Amino acid sequence: MLRLDGLSVGYGGPLALQDLSLEVRDGELVSLIGANGAGKSTTLKAISGLLKPQAGRITWGGEAIGGLSPRAVIARGIAHCPEGRRVFPQLSVRENLEMGALLRRDHGGIAADLAAMCDRFPRLRERLSQAAGTLSGGEQQMLAIARALMSRPRLVMFDEPSLGLAPSLVEQVFAIVREIRAKGTTVLMVEQNAMAALQMADRAYLLEAGQLVQAGTGAELLASPEVRAAYLGG
Amino acid sequence: MDQALQHLVNGTVLGGTYALLGIGLTLVFGVMRVVNFTHGEFYAFGAYITYGLIVLGGVNYFLALPLATLAGVALGALLEVALLRPMRKADIDSVMLVMIGAMLAMQNLEMFAWGGVAKLTPNPFDGSPLVFGPVSVLPLRLFVLVVSVLMLLGFWLALERSRAGMAMRATFQDPETAALMGVRVGWVNTATFALGSGLAAASGALLGPVFMTSPTMGDLVGLKAFAIVILGGLGSLPGATLGGFALGFVEEFAGGYLSTEYRDTFGFLLIIAVLVLRPQGLVPARERIG
Ligand SMILES: Nc1ncnc2c1ncn2[C@@H]1O[C@H](COP(=O)(O)OP(=O)(O)OP(=O)(O)O)[C@@H](O)[C@H]1O
Ligand SMILES: [Mg+2]
Repeated sequence: MLRLDGLSVGYGGPLALQDLSLEVRDGELVSLIGANGAGKSTTLKAISGLLKPQAGRITWGGEAIGGLSPRAVIARGIAHCPEGRRVFPQLSVRENLEMGALLRRDHGGIAADLAAMCDRFPRLRERLSQAAGTLSGGEQQMLAIARALMSRPRLVMFDEPSLGLAPSLVEQVFAIVREIRAKGTTVLMVEQNAMAALQMADRAYLLEAGQLVQAGTGAELLASPEVRAAYLGG
Repeated sequence: MDQALQHLVNGTVLGGTYALLGIGLTLVFGVMRVVNFTHGEFYAFGAYITYGLIVLGGVNYFLALPLATLAGVALGALLEVALLRPMRKADIDSVMLVMIGAMLAMQNLEMFAWGGVAKLTPNPFDGSPLVFGPVSVLPLRLFVLVVSVLMLLGFWLALERSRAGMAMRATFQDPETAALMGVRVGWVNTATFALGSGLAAASGALLGPVFMTSPTMGDLVGLKAFAIVILGGLGSLPGATLGGFALGFVEEFAGGYLSTEYRDTFGFLLIIAVLVLRPQGLVPARERIG
């Protein structure tokens, strides 16, 4: 289980995130929503170790992990699928997947997972030796998701997986996220598409200007007048 | 015709070491975004260590070569940890100034340690050339070519076929995401600078018995290394390899047919020509590592 207690993070100027507390229980799908600049990506970067917290605690299964290196965090079973896909453009699709499994040493298991990703995403199998930069946006998002899963995480964090995709692909990406959770992996998802994010979430948090303003089940936030007015178009 | 073949052979020998030099500089620029002014000094360092080991230490050339390369790797790692690591968040201008300072310091230390008179590392081979039909090659030059080609191949294999090489290429392309995959980016930076410096030291060590070693040789070699990297299209490893051989051929042919005295000038004329006619360099942008 992941817990943030009073987390504050900044980039040198004013705090991008202030006194945030939240939790993600095992097996849950939790959504983090909010407008541009609310601090959603900052939250994920603090958890994955890209940013050091200025105050507060991050604990994972009881262990304090705030301030650990990204390597130490992924080694503990937390994967971060970053905003904007960020595949390695000049590495092949296969190498991108292998990068996801960089810290694993079970070569047989890696090969099996690679085959499983190819079964799940047939378009990746057809393009295994192609440079990832030549894939379409949708294919790159599938690759980024598959790469995150290659570390066999217990918690996977998605940062705006639907960003910039055509509506039919958005549906597909959300279906994949639900499927990942159904198979037992805990999910923390950041989304601007608040409607979809709240509908599929067990619980959700709403951030505004670096601060937590609402928390509850997905259904509660969907029903909340403030959320409806500001994020769901009335 | 025979003369042309001879120049072709000589140009290939020179090109191999230039390629090593160019790859070292490209690596450091590609991974770390650092314009490495000390690169030519690492070449001089490699040449001097080889000279010192052989003449003062009585070490065999074939042992001195790997030792000098390792010394270059070690000094490169030290310089990275001491100077570059604390400046990781600094702007590029400050880093350039620090690197220029390091270059001046290295050059003057060489002057202090070895004096201003040029040294020639003894040739470990027999001085009589091997004759293949119309072409003759000194055994030393053949050895230099074989070793540089082996090093180029070994380097390429390590980069393309090993996990560490893959992690290094991923770091060239996107350091933050590479960190998310578990790459120790700080460590990759140190390794890259050490490897780049080692390649420069290796080419200096290889060419020690071919050219004279002097404290200011790093200036010209450093300039040539930049020329090779620019020829290759700034940040492309295949480009730097190609650029190295291109510079070797131009110097050799122009030196042979036009003027020996101005041989170094022709290389720079080539760069001006490439920059005017093909500003993206010899290898297209999509293959760039950065
Ligand atoms: N590298 C950075 N340097 C300085 N400030 C930053 C940096 N990254 C983000 N910020 C600031 O931190 C705040 C939160 O940014 P963050 O990226 O977490 O927002 P977000 O909720 O993910 O927004 P979006 O939906 O646009 O991705 C913003 O005010 C932003 O300007
Ligand atoms: Mg964001």
